[in-house]
Amino acid sequence: MTTVLLAILLLLGSATGARATEQDQLARGKYIFGATGGCGCHTEPKGVVNAGGRKYDGPFGTVYSSNITPDAKTGIGSWTDEQIITAIRLGRRPNGERILPVHPFTSFNGMAEDDLTALVKFLRSVPPVNKPTPPKKITIPMFESVFLPAWLITFASKETPPPAAPVSGVARGEYLVRAVGHCGECHTPRSAMTMAVDNSRFLAGNAKKTGPEGQATPNLTPDKGTGLDWNEEQIVTYLQTGNRPDGDVAGGLMGEVIQGTAAGYKDMTKADLQAIARFLKSIPAVKNKIE
Amino acid sequence: MTRRTTGRRSIPVLVLIAATMSACTTGSAPRMVGTGDVVYDRQRLMKIQAAQWNEMQAKFKSGDIKGIAANAEVEAVTSMQIPSLFPEGSLGPQSKAKPEIWERWGEFEATAKNMTIWSERLRDASKANDEKAVADIMKDYGRVTCGSCHTPFRQPQTQR
Repeated sequence: MTTVLLAILLLLGSATGARATEQDQLARGKYIFGATGGCGCHTEPKGVVNAGGRKYDGPFGTVYSSNITPDAKTGIGSWTDEQIITAIRLGRRPNGERILPVHPFTSFNGMAEDDLTALVKFLRSVPPVNKPTPPKKITIPMFESVFLPAWLITFASKETPPPAAPVSGVARGEYLVRAVGHCGECHTPRSAMTMAVDNSRFLAGNAKKTGPEGQATPNLTPDKGTGLDWNEEQIVTYLQTGNRPDGDVAGGLMGEVIQGTAAGYKDMTKADLQAIARFLKSIPAVKNKIE
Repeated sequence: MTRRTTGRRSIPVLVLIAATMSACTTGSAPRMVGTGDVVYDRQRLMKIQAAQWNEMQAKFKSGDIKGIAANAEVEAVTSMQIPSLFPEGSLGPQSKAKPEIWERWGEFEATAKNMTIWSERLRDASKANDEKAVADIMKDYGRVTCGSCHTPFRQPQTQR
């Protein structure tokens, strides 16, 4: 009798433990989701979270963000965890089709395995939405079969994933900025000719011509005169609230990623935001005046 | 005779009333007083609002809860003027406004109205010296009021 009771207690204990682990992983996944800016590209303004359909015009044509809700027909519900992770970090769908680098997979490739696994868990937890993604309209002949693969080989340098996500300090800040927050996608200068990211001038800002959605982005390097001259506390406040030191408040895409969707930059811990601020203060100053 | 005179006098009055009604019923919102340069006027108003917000944050940090009310009142009153400072198509090299403002005018007006509501709530909480209520509002105030308008309707700031 005692043995049976013990066995039941052990089983109950392990079930509770498993539930706690599951909850922890879900919470971690939501946190990572927020640290990416809430995967906002996959949510139309005031639309359903992760249901996609947001329009992006580029020199190659027009694409729409995918439905990444767990809907089996129109979303990622029928994909395995591994397939979702492959799409996030390598830009490949389960059928082998290439995802255009509008999806920042070259940055996301630097995410740690554990964070990606948790992120997938969270993506599966949001309500499924049956909403087909509108078909892309590519205007350049042979763009996907010839130009894109050539561009990726020539110009797209990928972030390298760490064995485990750094937990504190500048290394944590660098990880969050480079891989998860993918700040370089908008803030690192791109060539007007090839749209390739110039990592030798990491986070030095973009002019309107090369910036995201035709918008200029500020120089975040600590260059005196053209870069970010805020102190660490001001950077933390900005990422947490959108409030700038001059009383202005963030808008545009930056406003979106701070606010996020189900979560955003605003939901990151103070320690993580401080790590980001510290990292931003540590990167090389690059003179680049953004008008 | 007397009746005829009265009739003639009433014509300009009627024209004036009709003109006033027409001015009130056409266009989006009547213009407030200003310099005539609407972009300058609205940027001036936004700078006043930014200064108020900065001061409110400083007061909050220093524990001056009651002092926030005066600034919140300025935010409430100035936010009521925002729609009138955006007549249709008023863009230009100095303006950071996006054309989406007039494509989604109802939403734009609603964000200004929302700022008035939040500012009045903050003013009242501050007057009541209700520290918890003030803290709750202050936590989201920037994003919900200024940010919710800047995100869809203003080009990003590039200067730090």
